[in-house]
Amino acid sequence: MYELETFVELFRFPLNAILAILWVICNYSMWRNCRKSFIVRFLISKSATISAIAIFLIFCLILGFTGNIAIIHSYTFAIFLLYFQTVLLFVIFRGARRQTATGANRGSVRWRFVLNHLGLLFAVGAAFWGYPDSESYRVRAFRNVPVSESYKIDGSVRRLPYTITLTDCSVDFHENNAPSKYEAEISVDNKYVTLSVNKPYSYKFGEDIYLSAIDTNSDDMPQYCILEIVRQPWNLLVLIGIIMMITGAFTLFIYGPDRFIDKEGRYV
Amino acid sequence: MALTDLLTRREDMFSWDFFIWFGITSVILSALGAFISLFANNHWSQSSLKYRRKGRAAILFTILAVVSLGVFITGYWINLQRPPLRTMGETRLWYSLFALVAGLFTYFRWGYKWILSFSTILSAVFIIINIVRPEIHDQTLMPALQSHWFIPHVMVYMFSYSFLGCAFLLAVVRIFLKRVKIMEAVDILVYIGTAFLTFGMLSGALWAKEAWGHYWNWDPKETWALVTWLCYILYIHLRLLSKSNDRKLCLLLIFSFLCLQMCWWGVNYLPSAQDSIHVYNR
Repeated sequence: MYELETFVELFRFPLNAILAILWVICNYSMWRNCRKSFIVRFLISKSATISAIAIFLIFCLILGFTGNIAIIHSYTFAIFLLYFQTVLLFVIFRGARRQTATGANRGSVRWRFVLNHLGLLFAVGAAFWGYPDSESYRVRAFRNVPVSESYKIDGSVRRLPYTITLTDCSVDFHENNAPSKYEAEISVDNKYVTLSVNKPYSYKFGEDIYLSAIDTNSDDMPQYCILEIVRQPWNLLVLIGIIMMITGAFTLFIYGPDRFIDKEGRYV
Repeated sequence: MALTDLLTRREDMFSWDFFIWFGITSVILSALGAFISLFANNHWSQSSLKYRRKGRAAILFTILAVVSLGVFITGYWINLQRPPLRTMGETRLWYSLFALVAGLFTYFRWGYKWILSFSTILSAVFIIINIVRPEIHDQTLMPALQSHWFIPHVMVYMFSYSFLGCAFLLAVVRIFLKRVKIMEAVDILVYIGTAFLTFGMLSGALWAKEAWGHYWNWDPKETWALVTWLCYILYIHLRLLSKSNDRKLCLLLIFSFLCLQMCWWGVNYLPSAQDSIHVYNR
């Protein structure tokens, strides 16, 4: 078990959503009312941006070399992510619109900037705040035996609101005996669906059923398969973030470096 | 050869045995385009008539090179009766085509005269590999890779790596020669490379969601992809926000490119990454 895990349980919906909204409101009112304060001045400074990226990079490098996933599930990383998001939020407050001649941020909206930064904030934010609500369960389904119990990785049981029955499963092979296809036919509350790798079944938005493994020990035909049920209610926000970032990256490709746009030598 | 004759012999024309002719035509045409572009002015569309003609000729030759590859791919596609996206050899066809298209786009947009030589080399390398070792017979794809995300995900990464590879070369040059102008070219390459790095990473996230259930699993390959992305994001922000000197920025780019190599193939040899779900060569 990672150090964060038990603590995180406390922040299930709706507490995490409330805290996320409060966090945005607090930051926004700080931006509106105490713009001259030390904290706000720091959060929109170069050092804040650069340090946020650099610390993230260092965390990832440590993880990359050591392979110790516990780093990601530590309090330090959680606190850092909060810092990262706060910096991102203030950077968006400051940079969402171009400056007018008087120096106020009231000019036209900088779409490319907003897409890239807000997209990243959505993706990281939804993953961060939605983490307590995301769960994955495993089901071992034998042929023609209805099951409605699933197990979490720590052994705890969750009753499914539906019944899954495995009606058929098969493994195909290439000529060189490498597996070419895993396929399982299941019925979810009497609705028949075919699962294979890369083709999950979406029970409802935010809850998908995946084919995780198929029995390869039985001699003639596979007797059971292992299904994974993933619940991620905050999915949509991550998806919106990803789409915004993809659009942002596209504009990055089309328009290239900022300095080539602005003729007066200022970055737009 | 009459046109009808050609059409009836289509099946022979667009097989791998004939690829060598299309491939070599494309290499020669793109090389010509690249060579001419070296003598056009830095921004061909804004320069005098003489340079403008050269710029246009360079573009024309590169377009012809793209058409040569495009015709083969189309014919091959019709012949196979499935999109040629399955084997390594077939994906390399697309790399060579897109390398030229990317080079052409960058040249057209920014008139940066080096870029056509670079895209020609990149495309030629893949064409030559395809002529020498087509590897079309290995048609086995493991189930995890059988997805509509496979080709765009890998292709976009290769696209990005090629641009960032060029940025790396320029950064190395900049460290030894103190030419000021080079940083603007580096910026263009890094921006395009990073844009495609973002496509690659996010298409990977979408694919991971479809295959394994989570957008991000902190698998070693994913971690190193994020490291690479953050390195280039750091470069872009340093360049925009602070007055870091070019030498330091170039060192960062060299470090970034090492991380990129780590992500691309280094991760396969890393002891901490032995249980990665991204290693497909075992």
